[in-house]
Amino acid sequence: MKPDNPERNHALAAEYVLGTLHGAARKRFERWMMLSPKLRRQVWLWERRLQPFNESAPSMQPPADAWGALERRLFSAPETAPGPRAAAWWQSALPWRWTTGIAVAGLMALLIWTPVPPKAPENGLVGVVQGTQAQPLWVLNASRGDHSLTLRSLPPTLPASDGQDYELWLLPESGVPISLSVLPTEGAELRITLSHEQVKQLLQSRSLAISLEPHGGSPTGQPTGPVVYQTQLVDL
Amino acid sequence: MAAKEGMLVDQLAKVAQGDRAAFAGLYQQTSRAVYGQCMQLLRDNDEANDVLQETYIQVWHHAGEYHADRGSVLTWMMSICRYRGLDALRRRRTDVAFDTVAQNHACEKPGPMQNAGDMVDRQRLSDCLRDLDERYRNSIEMAYFRGFTHQELAVAMGQPLGTTKSWVRRGLNVLRQCLGS
Repeated sequence: MKPDNPERNHALAAEYVLGTLHGAARKRFERWMMLSPKLRRQVWLWERRLQPFNESAPSMQPPADAWGALERRLFSAPETAPGPRAAAWWQSALPWRWTTGIAVAGLMALLIWTPVPPKAPENGLVGVVQGTQAQPLWVLNASRGDHSLTLRSLPPTLPASDGQDYELWLLPESGVPISLSVLPTEGAELRITLSHEQVKQLLQSRSLAISLEPHGGSPTGQPTGPVVYQTQLVDL
Repeated sequence: MAAKEGMLVDQLAKVAQGDRAAFAGLYQQTSRAVYGQCMQLLRDNDEANDVLQETYIQVWHHAGEYHADRGSVLTWMMSICRYRGLDALRRRRTDVAFDTVAQNHACEKPGPMQNAGDMVDRQRLSDCLRDLDERYRNSIEMAYFRGFTHQELAVAMGQPLGTTKSWVRRGLNVLRQCLGS
């Protein structure tokens, strides 16, 4: 039986919006709404009437991982991210692609390509990039003191693929990767000086990734190739 | 305000066409308000996070169904959030802090509406609620802010089920007359 009495419609629509209409009655009402434009309008009217209640709720910052999780749930494409839904967002190539075009050229880190005496940074962060066999490939040290990020290759030469380069990315919580440097194909150690903003973002997310890019690095300023490694920095 | 609403409508229109950058922008603009509402209703970080995501998943899939009769873009999104939140509450069905709520009202602690500013709609609802019989007002606010069912209201207010049902019904009726259309 459909609610065809206007008073009853009002009452049901109001209790639907309020939430006191529940269980089977709520489901039944939702079905009636599908059939009756009049009833739908009643519901919308009540949503608008009670909207000021919503505005009285204090705004709150959602958890930092909510956006990444949402992207995974919506956009993780099987052909690029065949793993389970729990795969980290940067393991899917899609979010990288759709953020393409956001200029990061200005954020390129100042690259100082000099051998650096291997001393442990004080009050710093450390991360190890591992290969598929869990063998360590690179060790990363971030120093809070002088804003430097040092990347040391454990096998003395990086495993370069033909015509391609590895590119190092900072993965901030905002979700848009920031290019830090194309990794040199020779030499054992790379030292990058991060901007103040980059340091801030790195301290928040502590995430770095390495992608395989065309020779010379990503042409777009965003990762275009597969993310081959990623690491999380931890306090030293 | 109108400019911001115009921007949200533009973003939503782009989202309806599958524009992910617009979706990210919409999230950035609205997620704090939506999450605040999730938390107010659910009072649980994990559940609120989940409902937040469900809300935006629905926004992504149904952006094209929005129209001005639904109210502002944010009203529409908040409604989605509330319905998903209510679903989550009903699934939970466990301990609801009845005592806390009853005490809050008994000791006349400022209700959520007292945080409301001076916007016309808010003021109107606020005025109408103020004129409402206290029992009706409490029932409606507890149902809205805590997602209480009639049964839960009856327990929280120490009244027979039939009584709280009729308080809610009468309260909504008076509100409707006061607020008009």
